[in-house]
Amino acid sequence: MKQEEGKHKYGMVIDLDKCIGCGTCMVACASENNVSVRTDESDKERSIAWMQLFKITNGKPFPQTEVSYFPRPCMHCHNNTPCVSVCPASATHMDYHTGIVSQIYTRCIGCRYCQAACPYHARYFNWYDGYAFIQPFPKGLERQLSPEISVRMRGVVEKCSFCHHRLMRARTRAYAEGRRELEEHEYITACAEACPTQAITFGDLNNPKHKVARLSKSVYAFRLLEKLGTEPKVYYLSTRNWVRRMADNYRPDQLEPVGAVKT
Amino acid sequence: MDFSVKKLTDLVAFNRRNFIKLLIGGAVGINATPLPWKLMDDVAIWTQNWPWVPVPARGAFNHSETICTLCPGGCGITVRKVDGRPVKIEGRADYPVNPGGICPLGSGGLQLLYTESLRFTGPMKRVGARGTGDFVAISWDEAMQTLADRLAELKRNGKSEALAAIDGNRPHSSMSLLIRKFMDAMGSSMYARMPSLEDTYATVNRLMFGIDAPMAYDLEHADLILSFGCGLIEGWGAPGRMSNAWSLWRSEPLKGKVKIIQVESRASNTASKADQWIAAKPGTEAALALGIAHVMLKDGLYDSNFVANHTFGFTDWTSPDGKSHRGFKNIALRDYSPDVVSKTTGVDAGQILSLARAFARARAPIALCGKGKGSLNGSVFECLAVQSLNALTGNINKPGGVLVHQDVPLQARYSAEAKGPGEPLTAAGLGEALTADKISVETLLLFAANPAHTLPDGGGFRKALKKIPLIISFSPFRDESSLMADLILPDHTYLEKMDDVVWPVGLQYPFYGLTQPVLKPLYDTRATGDVLIQLAEIMGGRVTESLPWKNYEELLKERALNLFEAEGGLTSHDSSRPAWEPSAYRKVLKSDCTSPEELWKKLKAGGFWYRPFQRFGWHEELFKTASGKFEFCTDKLEKAGADLAKTLENDRDYPVVMAPYELINLASSWAPSPPYLYKTLFDSQIRGKDCFAEINPQTAGEYKLKQGDYVIIESSAGKVKALVNIFAGAMPGVVYLAFGFGHTGYSDFHLNKGVNPNSIVAGPRDFLTGMSAWWRTPVRLSKTKA
Repeated sequence: MKQEEGKHKYGMVIDLDKCIGCGTCMVACASENNVSVRTDESDKERSIAWMQLFKITNGKPFPQTEVSYFPRPCMHCHNNTPCVSVCPASATHMDYHTGIVSQIYTRCIGCRYCQAACPYHARYFNWYDGYAFIQPFPKGLERQLSPEISVRMRGVVEKCSFCHHRLMRARTRAYAEGRRELEEHEYITACAEACPTQAITFGDLNNPKHKVARLSKSVYAFRLLEKLGTEPKVYYLSTRNWVRRMADNYRPDQLEPVGAVKT
Repeated sequence: MDFSVKKLTDLVAFNRRNFIKLLIGGAVGINATPLPWKLMDDVAIWTQNWPWVPVPARGAFNHSETICTLCPGGCGITVRKVDGRPVKIEGRADYPVNPGGICPLGSGGLQLLYTESLRFTGPMKRVGARGTGDFVAISWDEAMQTLADRLAELKRNGKSEALAAIDGNRPHSSMSLLIRKFMDAMGSSMYARMPSLEDTYATVNRLMFGIDAPMAYDLEHADLILSFGCGLIEGWGAPGRMSNAWSLWRSEPLKGKVKIIQVESRASNTASKADQWIAAKPGTEAALALGIAHVMLKDGLYDSNFVANHTFGFTDWTSPDGKSHRGFKNIALRDYSPDVVSKTTGVDAGQILSLARAFARARAPIALCGKGKGSLNGSVFECLAVQSLNALTGNINKPGGVLVHQDVPLQARYSAEAKGPGEPLTAAGLGEALTADKISVETLLLFAANPAHTLPDGGGFRKALKKIPLIISFSPFRDESSLMADLILPDHTYLEKMDDVVWPVGLQYPFYGLTQPVLKPLYDTRATGDVLIQLAEIMGGRVTESLPWKNYEELLKERALNLFEAEGGLTSHDSSRPAWEPSAYRKVLKSDCTSPEELWKKLKAGGFWYRPFQRFGWHEELFKTASGKFEFCTDKLEKAGADLAKTLENDRDYPVVMAPYELINLASSWAPSPPYLYKTLFDSQIRGKDCFAEINPQTAGEYKLKQGDYVIIESSAGKVKALVNIFAGAMPGVVYLAFGFGHTGYSDFHLNKGVNPNSIVAGPRDFLTGMSAWWRTPVRLSKTKA
């Protein structure tokens, strides 16, 4: 069933030349969204990070080695959203009015089909009750929980929501002031807000006045695993061709270098 | 009757037919009722409503503005609260240092407030063995009286010098001043601060400029930044300001116009994201700087006007005692030719030539000295050599250069302050007293410091702590040093108290900020400033007189009010007009406060004061050295240069070099890492209980080490075990360990995670200061099984 294109299409552009790999986006995201924390976070099959940083290297020997980073939120795939199409419980859904892929914890039955379907590993399963069953119990930490986001229980899948509650917050304020439309700065995600180098830009890809609409059309813009045709709404910018090459499984001759900047 | 009974038994006879009828009838019947659906729904709701899954309390949202003091960067933060309960820390846009951004440590700060197992919840005394963390709660009265009695006893017995204090507060801060005054009043000189890059900067500024003001770099106007190991985007200076500057350099209109060159032995984030990476061997940065100077001098690519008129020691000179000294030109030209430097540093001679020419020809080049985040001391030799490059380009007190300031105009009438910010913990003084066989220190006070973990001394301090009869810690956190303490008088955390932030590191304009408590203290803690003043009151006599304030706030106010006198001080900030914008810093702006009381009111609301104006040029009166000029300090350069050659000699027993490095997403200073930070680490940095050592594939091959193998790294001070991470960006012959792991204190989130490189730091000390030369430890490697 093909639905009509909605009015807004929220998306993100991450400038990898500006990204310094500091991890602020991950921490800001976790504390905004009541993400659980375990005593052993190095167990990556159990730890949860809606925004996850990936480190890459250019593979060249010393001293030509370079490292770079990919911050990876949920891509909010716009086309044939892989997780939505497999969910048997209708617990996840793409809203055509905003482009946001939601996750309804109380509907989730924990089958983890979506986790298997997501090409970006953006979905995480709660093996434990995040704020109750960590051993030993992190007493007092529950005081940091924000009432805007429900605390997840074990047995459900969670993922980045583009800080959907911030959209609700901004809408409520706008409606109270008698406005129906939001300004660009009124709704941005926690990661974009916290990024100390302003590498993350958030806005409406459908609105030509928004910075993201312009940046996503840059010659340096690309998306992860574009060949799958899922139309992610998260774009990356990089002038370094070796970084761009990491975004998909290219054949050696397949990716046209852009510009004469670092290869 | 017979008839009816038979009929009945026929009807309910348990046969196949009736059984199926019952089954089908039952199934249809139950499904016709809402029962199964209701039950399923109930079960689903029940599984999602365990009483132990917390439901965050709702309430009214509001926020408080304050300043983050987890590092010396002083970022402005806003704390989002629900009915007064903080739930999120965000950056603050109306603030000059970090316009809106924040770092991972600052972002996770609430976890340091809330994790109960990380904190001391009230005054305590030790009952178990030292280091076990076995304490029992006592009352504040008992704690204060115990401490006062002990201090009085030392004083009575004429053993004032047996009282020592280690202070982790920043130089020039009011806390630091208060502690020094307290120690002075107690008659003890055994005061030392935890060494940091700020001390190295202060030493160099004192030697070369003759002033005590902090280092100030006008990076936002420079067009070439040559950084000798500073983690520009990894926590160096004020991280909020640095990342914002980085963003400016990578955006229009500056994009491609500012060149950043990083000198470092490892492909760090800064090295990788810079425009050029120069891989010099650890500890040889000074030689590289002097090699660059050599090329500049040889090619005549230096500001001869500045050098001739405003520097001393450029050419050979004779001191009044008739002794002749070599000048800077002579030293650089004779001892540091590109070929010699290439051999020392491992950098190609051609690269030194082109680097020197690019540096000299830039419009506004700055050479930066420092290491990593700067939470440890730097090399004075390196800083002297690097600052000499800035003198050669004449880019001192010019836009886009090194700025020379007087200090923040806070009150300086106290003798303790007049003597400067106090000495860092070195091999001399308190350091000597602590490492001697028979320790003379009988009572040690620890303020916001965790030397048992963060001091790069090969575990020497940890051993010394065991011998001190009485240790008193004022830390709010269960850090390693506090676990060795006998008495705990816990401070509030940074979000629960008022304190000052004096001049974030490296900022080009004077800045003063005041933090405000964003919530009532969660536990039975007391601000250490108030505790010291109360203690002085109990002590009586001279001690009471020396600390005349009613409380700590009064001291803060007394100092801060002096800012009102300074011309051009601003207390508000418009993010569209950065503080370093030429319109702001070229002329004296009108102060936006009309009375000292108004200034105090603004400061108390988490406010700040800064003065963007800078008097450029003015070289005739700028330098307060003996010669009244910039001094090249050639005697020190010469001596250190000779010593450097010795330290670089190959050690047959320890053929590999261990170089520790700092991560922006892991705290390595006194403040612990918020648990969220461990989420940001990769599984090539920490896995379970083990952290990784980065080794070049070639070096790993020599030792037959594969990815994920265990390796023992052994120095003359001790050995540690780590997993191998093969990393092409590691220099061959060098093994890299990250700071911030290996905690034996704090909470379960921190325990049993990797090893602390400080525990094996060994080797020659910094020649000029006697401080640890932690950046280069000779080690040997051996493969081992789990």
